[in-house]
Amino acid sequence: MEKYEKLEKVGEGTYGKVYKAREKASGSLVALKKTRLEMDEEGVPPTALREVSLLQLLSQSIYIVRLLSVEHVDKVPKSQKSSSNPLTKPILYLVFEYLDTDLKKFIDSHRKGPNPRPLPPPLIQSFLFQLCKGVAHCHSHGVLHRDLKPQNLLLDQHKGILKIADLGLGRAFTVPLKSYTHEIVTLWYRAPEVLLGSTHYSTGVDIWSVGCIFAEMVRRQALFPGDSEFQQLIHIFKMLGTPTEENWPGVTSLRDWHVYPRWEPQSLAKNVPSLGPDGVDLLSKMLKYNPSERISAKAALDHPYFDSLDKSQF
Amino acid sequence: MEFDLEDPLVSLEEEQTFTISELFASESEHVPSPNCLTSTHFRVFCCEAISLILQVQVSCKLDPFVAYLAINYLHRFMSSQEIPQGKPWFLRLVVISCLSLASKMKNTTLSFLVIQKEGCYFKAQSIQRMELLILGALKWRMRSITPFSFLHFFISLAEIKDQSLKQALKSRASEIIFNAQNDIKLLEYKPSTVAATALIFASHELFPQQYSILRASITASEYLDGETLSKCFDLMQDMMRMEAKELMIDTSFLSTETPVSMLERNTKRQRI
Repeated sequence: MEKYEKLEKVGEGTYGKVYKAREKASGSLVALKKTRLEMDEEGVPPTALREVSLLQLLSQSIYIVRLLSVEHVDKVPKSQKSSSNPLTKPILYLVFEYLDTDLKKFIDSHRKGPNPRPLPPPLIQSFLFQLCKGVAHCHSHGVLHRDLKPQNLLLDQHKGILKIADLGLGRAFTVPLKSYTHEIVTLWYRAPEVLLGSTHYSTGVDIWSVGCIFAEMVRRQALFPGDSEFQQLIHIFKMLGTPTEENWPGVTSLRDWHVYPRWEPQSLAKNVPSLGPDGVDLLSKMLKYNPSERISAKAALDHPYFDSLDKSQF
Repeated sequence: MEFDLEDPLVSLEEEQTFTISELFASESEHVPSPNCLTSTHFRVFCCEAISLILQVQVSCKLDPFVAYLAINYLHRFMSSQEIPQGKPWFLRLVVISCLSLASKMKNTTLSFLVIQKEGCYFKAQSIQRMELLILGALKWRMRSITPFSFLHFFISLAEIKDQSLKQALKSRASEIIFNAQNDIKLLEYKPSTVAATALIFASHELFPQQYSILRASITASEYLDGETLSKCFDLMQDMMRMEAKELMIDTSFLSTETPVSMLERNTKRQRI
């Protein structure tokens, strides 16, 4: 860790602190994500081993935040320093490329502040295409992100690049969950099958999140801003209509299903008024109730909405 | 998700073509660094370590893929280190740690105690430190790309329709790859080259009539270099000859009459 100079703490993820730092040799900026390995008599935990290896592999895509290296530092607990055989508690630093902003900040800067303005449609197209590319990459490796949201989509504004961050680590590292009042676990991008307690969900959960993010780029505000699981479902049902056994076979058998008021679906186009017909069509395919009917990330890349995008740049 | 040695990059069947070029692009990160291959120390150390790993495989009834993965880690790690002299414990510790890491990647239950039932005992702390040392040297790239990763792709190029034929081909090619892991010389070749060569041999053995079709489709692949493939083929052919030769020696031994049986026969003749 002598290679890096910590500059500031920039975040606190679900699994540990995040620092902005500079690599001394090259001067380039990195993000250090600090986490603790829970070692036992059997050495490095298998879950950590598998998750970091997977992350190492996945981050080779240009649409995933790059994992540059993994550094470990042995830390001897203070109570054991005098002991002749201290059991070390290794700390891992995952060293990622640094990107200075995320999609949430970017959208907010277009919504409030001195110069409110819509995101340019070609930029929305470009960001969505890159997001679908990144998600397709994860899914092609059998990996679900499960927490896609604007805060997890990092941007290189100068180059117009969008990258997915925060892949999988919450599952690998057992860190006590700290609750911060200022950091609410967001439900806004969560798929209805997850909210209804399904345990056998698949790639569709990420596609739902992509759809919500797509709409949010267009509207500059969240599509389904619930503050509890129940309220989240109500938001969804009021706009898309309460799901039925006809449009979502099996929905009433899900664990957390209750009787809900029968809302009729609203016009999706009305909720994203500046989006053209192709965009509305793609969005509707991402927000299908039945997960098996939702468009895949790979298929989305071929949707007519992207026809006017110059794909050679990707 | 489960890490499958045959498909380290792919879990969803329909997404195969999406990542094939990525598989070929990444394989160089999962082989030992080239300059070590000329070192006698490296060869001697690795031969001894491999022998130990294969012993543990037999005694613990390990999945052969676990042993194969452990050997991959061993080669990659030792090619980045100085071979220590005068520390006999080092080899055992590296072997135990590589097996431990490999079994964890494969989600096999394999405790330190079981691995160490023969020979000296290391503290968990020592193994932990060695594991972290190996992980650092390998940059935590533990989802190794091996020849097994490429078999499905090359078989698909031949467009064989018979499923049992494809399975037999894959099984025999895998067997050839497992047997080849003893030979350090093969480390000069990329996993994809080794896979292609093993398949060509397997097809020649099992399905001579299909051989020319499969060989043509494999060698036509844009990802392979014809000259390198040819050299790898020659090396593997030599290995196969050695294997066959050893088998003949074993077989011929069975037909040799022992002095005892000769003596018995002579005794009977005299009595008559």
